Amino acid sequence: MTSSADPPGGDRWLELSVEADAEAVEPVSEILGRVAPNGGTAVRPTRLLRDPDDELNVREDPSAPFVVTAHVPDDAAAPAAIEATERALWHLQAFGLRPVSGLSVRPVDASAWTEAWKAHYAAQRIGRVVIVPSWLEEQLRAGEVAVRMDPGMAFGTGLHPTTRGCIELLQQVRPMPPRLLDVGCGSGILALAALRLGADRADACDTDALAVAATRANAEANRLGDRVAVWQGTLPARPAAEPYQLVLANLVASVLIELAARLAAHTAPGGTLLASGIIEGRATEVRDAFAAAGLAIRTERHDGEWVSLRAERVRS
Amino acid sequence: MAKKIRATLKVQAPAGQATAAPPVGPALGQHGINIMEFIKAFNERTADLRGYVVPAEITVFEDRSFTFVTKAPLAAALLKRAAGVESGSAEPNREKVGRVSQQQLREIAELKMADLNANTVEQAMRIIAGTARSMGIEVTA
Repeated sequence: MTSSADPPGGDRWLELSVEADAEAVEPVSEILGRVAPNGGTAVRPTRLLRDPDDELNVREDPSAPFVVTAHVPDDAAAPAAIEATERALWHLQAFGLRPVSGLSVRPVDASAWTEAWKAHYAAQRIGRVVIVPSWLEEQLRAGEVAVRMDPGMAFGTGLHPTTRGCIELLQQVRPMPPRLLDVGCGSGILALAALRLGADRADACDTDALAVAATRANAEANRLGDRVAVWQGTLPARPAAEPYQLVLANLVASVLIELAARLAAHTAPGGTLLASGIIEGRATEVRDAFAAAGLAIRTERHDGEWVSLRAERVRS
Repeated sequence: MAKKIRATLKVQAPAGQATAAPPVGPALGQHGINIMEFIKAFNERTADLRGYVVPAEITVFEDRSFTFVTKAPLAAALLKRAAGVESGSAEPNREKVGRVSQQQLREIAELKMADLNANTVEQAMRIIAGTARSMGIEVTA
């Protein structure tokens, strides 16, 4: 709701919303876009369906309605805009594109859209590792190390059990070896945490160009750019140079299973592989694939439905 | 990195010119998404489509990180461009504002087919034709 603290004029908006069938979403968007200042609208599904074959995936249910929204300034022109929108929506009935709800109108507080999202974030402590957004100053306690990460496309709150699990297991690796490999590096958070915990150099790879760019940017932001080498692509069958004493792989179960032999080939005999992103229902398959590749499980960490593993490459 | 999807949403914003104003700010802000990062990436990806309102399908993960793909401009925008009109009709069953040919309809349907979950071009054409009629744009033979 608007309040007396809002600046006058530009920050007072009305949200117009309509529920519509999938086929009517585009025409309803067009109608709402007529009165929105820049023609913009937003659409969200009212129901998501979990994919039974992929534990991470969902898809929109096209048989359930979608909510189309647009915003208009809450000023003298608003009543006419609302009336015109209601009239245009009514006319849709003639074309078999009937919205499933009437037009809803509510005032919204728009005074701080550009900053309000930051309220979702705080410094995150995972053992000795503290993840700090760039706009926050966080006092570190004795023994703590900071990794500065801004949330965005490649990285979120840092609270995800798979990231947390891997960072916790990382702190059990003692001594921290000088060289490590981060497979599927994403934002680069694991490699950067390992460097903060004592490693000298990190090699990292990801199939996603966005992740490669994010890892480079985050390494620079942490003044670790000269100690991280990132490449785009999947893991080769064999390491180009010596295998690593430490390999990090926060992936998904299916990819860990597929890459088990390659991950083992990149882990030096007696070295450590930290694997995360394993949904509980597939943990046995991952354990079996690791055993077949010569990786012995030393520690398991469970957090909700997620499992993280610390494995050792068996000396042949 | 393994991440469960938390939400999906779509914003339809002016290509190359999205700002934190609606619809982007409120739609993304409620999910805790870094709005400025989205805007920068959206404007870069859609710079060549200036003049159109372009949909972006955003996937928000459990940890509030996100990814998005941009789609073809809204059918309504393509229809307006094809018909040479500024806006749809306020009373589309009485007042027609323009017309498009079957060939133009097919071209728009082919462009939008993937976004509409249509199995055939003919099915996509029927959906686009419905949108056209709802805007007061006639489809000629």
